[in-house]
Amino acid sequence: MSYITGPEYVRYACTCGLLKSLPNLYFCRHCSQLRCGFCVCPEVDSIFCGKCSENIPSAEAKVKKNKCANCLICPSCQQDLSTRIASKGVVNPDDSKSPAKKTYYLSCYFCGWNSRDVGIPDQTSPTGGWPERENVHSNRLQELLDSYKQIMLSQKQQKENDKKKKFGKFVSYTDRTGITASALRKRIGIPDIPHAMLRKPKLPESSTATTEVEELPDKFFTQEIDLLEVTTIEQRLLQPESQPVTVDKLFPAHKQLSIKKSLRCRHCERNVSKPEYNPNSIKFKIQLFAYYHIPEVRLVKVGDLKRGQPCEIIIKFTNPTQHQTTITILNLDLAEQERYVEEQQMMDISENLEVLSLQFKQPTSLPSLPGSQPSSLLSLPPRQPHLTIKSRKIKQTVNSTVEIPQSVFILPPRDDAAEYDDSNDTHNIEDDSNLVIWRKSNKVCIKLLVNIHEGETIGEEVFCGFTMDHVYTNIIAANFENKQPQKLNHKVRIFLNLGKM
Amino acid sequence: MSRNNIKIFSGALVCEGSKLRGDITVGSGTIIHPSATVIAEAGPIVIGENCLIEEQAKIIHRVPFDQQNKENIPILMIGVHNVFEVDCTVEASKIGNNNVFEPKCFVGSRVTVTNGCTIGAGCHITEEQILNENISICGAKCQMREGLDKPAPQNLQMETLLKMLPNYHYIKKPNMKQQV
Repeated sequence: MSYITGPEYVRYACTCGLLKSLPNLYFCRHCSQLRCGFCVCPEVDSIFCGKCSENIPSAEAKVKKNKCANCLICPSCQQDLSTRIASKGVVNPDDSKSPAKKTYYLSCYFCGWNSRDVGIPDQTSPTGGWPERENVHSNRLQELLDSYKQIMLSQKQQKENDKKKKFGKFVSYTDRTGITASALRKRIGIPDIPHAMLRKPKLPESSTATTEVEELPDKFFTQEIDLLEVTTIEQRLLQPESQPVTVDKLFPAHKQLSIKKSLRCRHCERNVSKPEYNPNSIKFKIQLFAYYHIPEVRLVKVGDLKRGQPCEIIIKFTNPTQHQTTITILNLDLAEQERYVEEQQMMDISENLEVLSLQFKQPTSLPSLPGSQPSSLLSLPPRQPHLTIKSRKIKQTVNSTVEIPQSVFILPPRDDAAEYDDSNDTHNIEDDSNLVIWRKSNKVCIKLLVNIHEGETIGEEVFCGFTMDHVYTNIIAANFENKQPQKLNHKVRIFLNLGKM
Repeated sequence: MSRNNIKIFSGALVCEGSKLRGDITVGSGTIIHPSATVIAEAGPIVIGENCLIEEQAKIIHRVPFDQQNKENIPILMIGVHNVFEVDCTVEASKIGNNNVFEPKCFVGSRVTVTNGCTIGAGCHITEEQILNENISICGAKCQMREGLDKPAPQNLQMETLLKMLPNYHYIKKPNMKQQV
């Protein structure tokens, strides 16, 4: 586990130019590219309660303010509350056989808080009916909400009216005679009633600022503060409507709902991660983590880091796939990446120019057609993909170079049974003994020489990098067209932090 | 370490696999699991009745750092109905009744624990202080709150253990008669 959470010594360059450790990366099988958390588009799949595992439709969740109606959390430590039974005498004291009267109260197994602490009466049913606290400002909030809804409506109406005016000058016959409906009403002597939608929305009473503030009670200066009585910031913010200051006003809060999110590649709009719908399941329908597709690199041993002499490092490659792969170590070649990024930028600029020129052309080509769509809508491409991430230059600088080995090496496929099988450790792979120093099932250790650049001072962290070219077997195309699995060379830039000189 | 002087009252259940060092008195009804550790380094430890000391729990009576010799160190008195859960380390100088030390907690030697306290899982309490009655400490920030009641005693669990443990472990024989 420390490998996953520990310091990132080995980082992979995502297609967008950011450096991430392997467990933080995704691999889009359709684009055959690495994608980091910024190159995927997260979407809310389903909303559920983590305690009662109930799926809640998004509209319902919105009404309930994204809180579960049934589950409560401890106001003291924000953990789930559980219901406890307390027996309170018998139902009928005269009858000796009558069952014990059961009452229920809420209790937190974590911090020991229970609903009796704050004087919430015990309930007779286990599912609750726990008293909700009335928000003192609810009337005011409702008033504000209503008036803003009205403003929204009237603005909508205004817009529609503006649109209508374009159709023709006269809306009705009375307009043609020069007498509007309201003018007619005035002439006949009926009081003028403006149209319901045209009525000016009633603005809520604005709150007034006051300069008179209650004096700070003396007790804050004279009495010693008892921290056990005062709530913490977290406890206060859990109940934004009341924000209790003392612990005796803490009331159980409803549990926040959780979401399941799916991730979509921003380039091809296909899913790279999609969880199963059932809230009880922790499995994925689609799960394209780079960890399952890209050979993993680990630092095994780093020799003495000294300037002027090559340092020997040993790194281990692990093949996570079911297909054999060949790995070639290539130059890091940051210049090539920079060129690629610049090309992309140029392409983007030219695309933008095209869009702009289209926008300019439109008004001239379509001379004020009545009822036509606004020209800005037409100029947009048919379907704008999600916000795409522009690749950027890799910021990490390297202060040492790896001596690129001349030979390549083979990584056998992963075999889960091999771990329990000690017998067949013989493999008919001819290795360059200068490069490969150890080999077992799908793992290979290789030796590389690193030269630290001139001019680096002692105590500085040494970074080196190389490009790993591996054969990636894409089985998607094979499944579709019953063809042989497609093999392609995939290149990843890998950066190693070798520690201090 | 000087010779062990362990007094076990009848009714107590002390497993052979537990590690007891120094002058220790175990009250009746107390259960000490195998691989629990009780070390009376600075002075005697007296464990009250009906305490539960689980696996890997460590109760150590240490000499304070600023003191060189073992003089004037009082007996470590542990009250009744205390629960020391798995892998807790307790070096408190005084422990009252009905306390719960949850797994992997640490209580330093300058702490005095009164009655009905709960030290939450993983909480480290090292500052010199006296924990008031019915205090419970929990969470990564060792948040303190005061309860109304002492934690519920684990009677059912103790009864089961009293039946089950002798079936699978060697038991140290009680060498003292029932306390009067």
